[in-house]
Amino acid sequence: MQRQIEPQPAAPRARPGPASRYWFQRNRRWLGDMGTIALLLLVLFPFAWLVQMSFRPNKDILGYELLFEPTLAHYKALWTGAFPASFVNSTITSVSSTVLALVIGVPAAYALSRGGFRSSRRIALWILATRMAPPIAFTIPFFLAYRYLGLSDTLIGLIIVYLTFNLALVIWMMQPFFDGVPRELEEAAWIDGCGVWEAFWRVTLPLSAPGLAATAVICFILSWNDFFYALVLTRTNASTAPVAIVNFIQYTGWEWGRIAAAGTLVMLPVVIFSILVRNYLVRGLAAGGVKE
Amino acid sequence: MATARSRISRRQMLRVGAGSLFIPFSLNAGKAPAQGGKKPFEGVTLNISCWSATYPKLIADYLPEFTERTGIKVNYDTPGFPVYNQRADLELSTKGSGFDVLNVTFIYTSRWIGAGWLTPLDPYIKDANKTPADWDYADFLSGSLQPMKDKAGAVYGIPWISDVLMAASARFDIFKANGLGMPDSFDELDKAMQVVNKKEGVAGFSVENHWGWTFIPFLQGFGGNIFRNPPDDLMPTLDTPEVAAAAEYFAKLLNSYGPEAASGYTYDQVTEALRAGRVNFSPHNHAFCALMGQEGSKVTKTSNFAMIPKGPKGRFPGVASHGWGIPVGAKNKDASWEFIKWSMSKDFIARLTQKHGLGSVTRKSLINSDAYKQRMVINGVDTGKIFLDSIAMSEQGYMKYRTVHVYPQANAQINQAVSRVVSGQMKAKESFAMAQANTMADLKRAGVKF
Amino acid sequence: MPVQRLGWVAYRQRSFMAGMAPALMVLALITIAPAVYLVLTSLTPLNLTLPNTAWDFSNPAGNYIDLLEDPRFTRSVWVQVKLSVSTVILQLLVGLGVALLLNGGTRIRELARSGFLIPMVLPPIVVGILWKVMYAVDISPFHRFMAYIGLPVPSLITDPNWALFAIVIAETWEWFPFTMLMVLAALQMIPASPLEAARIDGANNWQIFRFVMFPYIQSTLVVAAIFRLIDSIKAFPLIFVLTDGGPGDVTEVTNYYAYRQAFTFSLWGYGSAIATLMVAGIFVLSWVIDRLTGAADAEAD
Repeated sequence: MQRQIEPQPAAPRARPGPASRYWFQRNRRWLGDMGTIALLLLVLFPFAWLVQMSFRPNKDILGYELLFEPTLAHYKALWTGAFPASFVNSTITSVSSTVLALVIGVPAAYALSRGGFRSSRRIALWILATRMAPPIAFTIPFFLAYRYLGLSDTLIGLIIVYLTFNLALVIWMMQPFFDGVPRELEEAAWIDGCGVWEAFWRVTLPLSAPGLAATAVICFILSWNDFFYALVLTRTNASTAPVAIVNFIQYTGWEWGRIAAAGTLVMLPVVIFSILVRNYLVRGLAAGGVKE
Repeated sequence: MATARSRISRRQMLRVGAGSLFIPFSLNAGKAPAQGGKKPFEGVTLNISCWSATYPKLIADYLPEFTERTGIKVNYDTPGFPVYNQRADLELSTKGSGFDVLNVTFIYTSRWIGAGWLTPLDPYIKDANKTPADWDYADFLSGSLQPMKDKAGAVYGIPWISDVLMAASARFDIFKANGLGMPDSFDELDKAMQVVNKKEGVAGFSVENHWGWTFIPFLQGFGGNIFRNPPDDLMPTLDTPEVAAAAEYFAKLLNSYGPEAASGYTYDQVTEALRAGRVNFSPHNHAFCALMGQEGSKVTKTSNFAMIPKGPKGRFPGVASHGWGIPVGAKNKDASWEFIKWSMSKDFIARLTQKHGLGSVTRKSLINSDAYKQRMVINGVDTGKIFLDSIAMSEQGYMKYRTVHVYPQANAQINQAVSRVVSGQMKAKESFAMAQANTMADLKRAGVKF
Repeated sequence: MPVQRLGWVAYRQRSFMAGMAPALMVLALITIAPAVYLVLTSLTPLNLTLPNTAWDFSNPAGNYIDLLEDPRFTRSVWVQVKLSVSTVILQLLVGLGVALLLNGGTRIRELARSGFLIPMVLPPIVVGILWKVMYAVDISPFHRFMAYIGLPVPSLITDPNWALFAIVIAETWEWFPFTMLMVLAALQMIPASPLEAARIDGANNWQIFRFVMFPYIQSTLVVAAIFRLIDSIKAFPLIFVLTDGGPGDVTEVTNYYAYRQAFTFSLWGYGSAIATLMVAGIFVLSWVIDRLTGAADAEAD
């Protein structure tokens, strides 16, 4: 005969120790939340400080009062001089480099995914290797080569150099997405008479659109943020926004407003984009190494 | 006049093609001047850069005038001294056309001229069509022109300044109140600093952290030198006891009598500190000292100036010239020359001295003019005379170390060596022994044979 | 039909090869060619002020011999080691801590996750500027606060004993979100049953972490450490903005030294040699780590 198991009320477990510890345990959730917020504020403090500096009027730039009169003077001042041009350069190089990397890399990723090549492990290692090399190993030969080819201080020069990391990234990121598209769908298309690439275009690509978007955004972010290549390979015509900021870095007190404004502007696109693709960020940044 | 576009190579086609895809190069080079009411160089844009000294910074405000007159638009850039030098050197080494006019920095003159990275300017100066006679090339101080010339005497830069290190005191009233005059020797300086330091909250001593420039008068004053016998014998002599003694003395000045974070002060910071009366004594460039008498300065009525103090082995005021030059790869050298002519013309410089108290100019006619002389008198002291006396001293030749083509490497090593001593990382002897070894290695790599 | 099928397979393989070809060619052009050029240049004393040094192979090992005797180079390697080890350890610890905190599962913590990302995605030069403001004694709110409460802190980035530490802090701030995200992802994949079982058994938090959670996230920590280690060798913008290698050469890491040699004095041959050694070093390091973790993985399986 089965015994009836009667539901028993959950009894609070007897806890040794003072009552305050009990309070901590009970309210752990809430305390953790408060702690998180406090930590977040602490971590973001330097960032927030810079942003607020960009709105402070000059005479007050080092002040503390929280209620200051915000001014757009620094942003307006940025608009003369070379800064807008550098912003445009950044946009052009980042977008172009991303598009180029996608155009070349996506078919390769698909081929790697479906092709069943034996050397795909070696290719993965190659991709990892390009990611590992320090930029200076690339900048020296590129600098000397561009000097000869006349590509110094050109946007095309930068775009080509950015391919060194963007291409590998695209291949690395898109391959698993393609792996995730069921082969049956493509095979169905093939049976219907589609060519390999036609099926890819019609079937696989639309299904991997979110991955494509995320990859594109990450490529954009990495290109936008680049400093070293732009510093070395550009002078005046092609200098990008991160390099233009360096021009403001001289110590005369009144430039801090402009530096802060420039910094805020330069970081704005990437912060926004990053929040949009946060779930794919780690994958992208860790390209080449995570063993699935 | 043959310009750089007499040969279109494949590279140039590629460059132009690539460039035209993205950023329109607004070059209309080669247009005949004054075509029926149009400005001579309409549509031309020049990229010009110089380090952030007083004169280059002043020019920025007058660029619209230049554009008005000639039609040339200028992209103008004045980064800090080390950043400027590194960029200019890198750009010049590519013989590229990123810049149309560049500052020829004193310590790099020999390197850049020797490597053939600058355009000879004599053809422009001598051509009556390009340069009217009243621009008066002969008016420039020969001492300032000297470093801008190569061994054969061809000139590659038009000097806009002769930097002279002199002694400035922002709060001389404190000296006087304690019965002291302007220190004339290193010993007097040390004693005076002990007395005036921190009086009325004013730090005693400050100096900009380009030690490769500001430390040298002390190094030489103690009897040391950078090379054995520049420019012929380039064996570095940084590990001598004289150099170590000088470094210890210098570090003592900074550490005992300097303000907080003294070793981080750049030339603008020192100038600001002097003008605000936050520091008292400083060996500083004449052009910056002149700003102590300009508006915004709180110390006009309490300043005093003198030549750099002398050491046991003599007085060695540092003298350096900077000038405008045209990179060998510049696309529109005629337009570049227009800029140089305008920015170095007699009336333009005269205006700058009148309106802004620009000092350390290189035109004899200006230096001798009453108006300039008057401007250079600050609080009754004739800084113009100190300037000329110091330049006269430099003709003895102790500045030859600075125009050696490998001096930039030595400069970097001296900067680091002094930095180590001032921060207490190493003792002077050790630090300079390291500098000596590094300099020798650097020089060897740069092709110098010992 | 077998014939048709064979034709299809061949066509398919050809299509895939065609898809790969452009990428392979481009990759070869922009990675292998420069690598070869780099090594070749490192065998010459290339110096742009002396044009005849361009293809002078008379003394191929010259730069390398110089490097081995160059105290500044060995010193830069030592600085690099110090920087890498400290910053990787700190990033792991901080990342782990924040990940554990954010694992709580409340809405607030979910939202906070995006906020914690910000240091990592900022352009590195902007991070450099942020910290320049934080470390500049007369501007920084931190310094002024400390002075206000009577514990004045002298300038860190001009102090030879503290400059490297200052950079480590800034670098950790910038990159801890990386490890945080990776660990968080791993934490959220831990199955619920072992955790519940441990709790029912009466384990306290520390024990749960040590014996239940840690084994699951161990490999993630290792991978994160490897990535951070390799990335730390590339550190540039922070040093460029904050200390320029100084004071003296206390913060001059190998990457920065190579930059100085090549781009400040146009000593391309020497700079190339340093870069080549760096790349070789990184490869060796990764190979070693790969072996070690491969062995560990094999054991764990």
